Amino acid sequence: MALDLHKMQNYDRLLEQMNEFRERGTDYRSLRGRMSEVMDRLHPKRLRLEVAEIIQETPSAKTFRLVAPDRSLPPFLPGQYITVYTEVQSVATARAYSLSSAPADSGHYDITVRRLAGGLVSGRMLDRWRVGDTIEASSPSGNFYHNRIIHDRSVVYLAGGSGITPFMSMIRQEATRPAGMNVCLLYGSNSDGDIIFHDELNRLAEGNARFRYVPVVEKPGAGYRGKTGYLTADLIREVLGDVEGRTFFLCGPGAMYDFCIRQLEALGVPRRKIRREMFGALPDITRHRDWPAEVNPAAEFSVQIKGKDTIKAKAGDSLLTSLEKNGLKVPSLCRSGECSYCRVKLLSGRVFQPKESLVRSSDRRFGYIHSCMSYPLTDLEILL
Amino acid sequence: MADYDAIVIGAGNGGLAAAATLAGAGASVCVLERHNIPGGCATSFCRGRFEFEVALHQLSGMGTEGNPGPLRFTMANLGVLERVEFIESNDLYRIQIPDRIDITLKTDRKQVVDELSGRFPEEREAIANFFDMLYAYFQELVKAFFLKDPDASPERYPLIYRYSMRSTKDVMDSYFRSPLLKSVITIYWSYLGLPPSRLMFMDFAITLYSYLEYKSYHVKGGSQSISNALADIIVEKGQEIRFNCGVKRILVRDGRAAGVITETGEEISAGCVISNASKITTYVDLIDREHLPGDFFGHLRSSAIGVSALSLYMGLDCPPSEAGITQPTNFISPTEDYERAYECAKTVEVSEDSGLLTCYNYMDPSFSPEGTTIATFVTLKYGEPWMQIKPEEYHEIKFRCGEQMMEILDRVYPGVRGRIEEFEIATPLTHLRYLGHPNGSVYGFDQHPWESSFFTQQKAPIPGLFITGAWAGMGGFQPTYQSGEKVARLALKNIKG
Repeated sequence: MALDLHKMQNYDRLLEQMNEFRERGTDYRSLRGRMSEVMDRLHPKRLRLEVAEIIQETPSAKTFRLVAPDRSLPPFLPGQYITVYTEVQSVATARAYSLSSAPADSGHYDITVRRLAGGLVSGRMLDRWRVGDTIEASSPSGNFYHNRIIHDRSVVYLAGGSGITPFMSMIRQEATRPAGMNVCLLYGSNSDGDIIFHDELNRLAEGNARFRYVPVVEKPGAGYRGKTGYLTADLIREVLGDVEGRTFFLCGPGAMYDFCIRQLEALGVPRRKIRREMFGALPDITRHRDWPAEVNPAAEFSVQIKGKDTIKAKAGDSLLTSLEKNGLKVPSLCRSGECSYCRVKLLSGRVFQPKESLVRSSDRRFGYIHSCMSYPLTDLEILL
Repeated sequence: MADYDAIVIGAGNGGLAAAATLAGAGASVCVLERHNIPGGCATSFCRGRFEFEVALHQLSGMGTEGNPGPLRFTMANLGVLERVEFIESNDLYRIQIPDRIDITLKTDRKQVVDELSGRFPEEREAIANFFDMLYAYFQELVKAFFLKDPDASPERYPLIYRYSMRSTKDVMDSYFRSPLLKSVITIYWSYLGLPPSRLMFMDFAITLYSYLEYKSYHVKGGSQSISNALADIIVEKGQEIRFNCGVKRILVRDGRAAGVITETGEEISAGCVISNASKITTYVDLIDREHLPGDFFGHLRSSAIGVSALSLYMGLDCPPSEAGITQPTNFISPTEDYERAYECAKTVEVSEDSGLLTCYNYMDPSFSPEGTTIATFVTLKYGEPWMQIKPEEYHEIKFRCGEQMMEILDRVYPGVRGRIEEFEIATPLTHLRYLGHPNGSVYGFDQHPWESSFFTQQKAPIPGLFITGAWAGMGGFQPTYQSGEKVARLALKNIKG
């Protein structure tokens, strides 16, 4: 095929236009490195952070104040988390921690860590981290934040235990705004000695018509005079009066979601007004309501990694954990089944996947799983 | 001996289609992808109980089994057809220009002509003439290009010579008087990223004709299904895809592309390299300058980085009808003057931008849980002004622009805002983050007439190097899949020869 281009209407004019563009167009050599530079300011892959200060919040919780010695910190939305990459007993692993500082406190990120029974990573951080240590982390990420376009300006935060951390960021940020939202925090703790940020929350609430702070303690000590028990529908109604026109935010241990969401449903709160943070897999997955009771969590299966080694994996350990224990590098970020960084292909065998794991429908069809929220039920063959 | 016959940089539509074609022909291939999933634009993401389609709105060029379009052949060749369910739609689009017009068209020439004639009776004859011309023009294209007529003279192909290179605006002006009628017909400019005054009629005509004749399609499970199917095909043929594996450098040895160095410093050798990264990334960041001809970047100056997008992804807690949405494809334009709407794309703020509200449940009722809706509202935005935003201002601007888009939507679909359960905003910087494309461009370079093969040689200046995807031709799903298949056939000659 050979069109006679010069006989096509407008061809010569277009040639002229092309040359005009060429004269005033961009020399793309000037863009070398520019895209990664812009991205790196907002979403660097990794951040090198230094522990600048350690604050003992309660007997079991500390805040680590982190600064970036060699760059400015990327912005974040109150409620977002960073993932800390660390090594425990020479196993490279990672954990996600909500930032507890407000974006307005520029210059540092705070993460507040509480000792978890049997928690390898939290224990190590609390016992070993010292001021001046350098750590590696992801940039802030996550979808748990107030979105002014769709969420009410009146919000209720339901926090459980260390689930207070993202709310602390939100509350501190609100405190910097002259005309902000109406915030009510219902904060459930095990005992009154466990309440993190109790003094600061009291201080912020004092004389502040826009912020109410209601601690709720399950096992109160002698002399405790506040609310006790759980965050029940009755308690929520008693505190709020009317639930209409409010958006609810939940963050806490897994069992709290099941309980609190039922309470909110009983109060007639529509689903679109309930936001929940992903809070990692249960430390003991056998306590998940869908866990197949007949499976012994100590049962060991072999996982053959295509083209590579075969490893042993316990039913009660997430596949990601087992891979990491065997020195295999799998990228991870949220470790709650949400971000899909740790996606692998399951070639054969069966795994338990809690329904909180947000796996794409075509990924389900084509056999991909999120290894952070997959527990072997048989021998497996996977593709990394 | 090289490690692979071919290395493919990037698992976007072009890269995956190229790799699947190569694997199918028995070549050894390694696909390197920075991200953790395949697809590039053809991906999805989950929020709550919803899974959002990132980019596919209406898949063009499929055609029915009885009247197959070019993409159906490509999908069959790739092996995708039997692995993915394609869903046919007879809906072209509804277009709403508030206070001016609200009209719904089908993928049916007669319905379109009748509907337009009913609304614009004084131009009835012009409407019939225009669509006659469009169909006759396409027949000429098929004979001249597809069947490769050796005698492509102006006498045999008068319409090609008369119309192809004129602007869409110019051709529309020669047929119609009513600016509103022209606006109704030319809204697909937004699928191509340039306004009618700058859009070559050939590009526009092919787009409109393709949807009318080959209908509009969607995919069960979203475009991620196609990406996953292609990845499966590649792996099943014993070939390799590495995720979370970026490329730092393309190796050139003795004047030939010979492999890559990954971000982690690993060197992988190959007989040829197919880049699905942008042309700019490929030539500016991945290849050392000494390997390129001296005037190379001078020539590239006529190409301009194309539009990115500002998108609202919305999961509603009610069926579409309850939110007032009745059609799958709804263009909303605050102005009938697309030149003005296009100028808005050059600013960060949203004002008179044309937008597209796609409701996937009308294509696939199972697209979201029963009783819910997925709707995406997208406008075109150039990324450059977004690149200038200070990091600490980014979130404020992102939500402000999202709010401005919602205000446009409120005027036409006031029932949507109050029913949103999940919500995500993607800006040009989001697209830059996930695609790596300069300025977050979603269609590659601006589709100026001189990007067409009439003016630009797509052959890479280094033997053994091939470019595929939106930057090597047209943007969009159909063109990029076809680009991958085509480039793989060229590469195969290279491998075998």
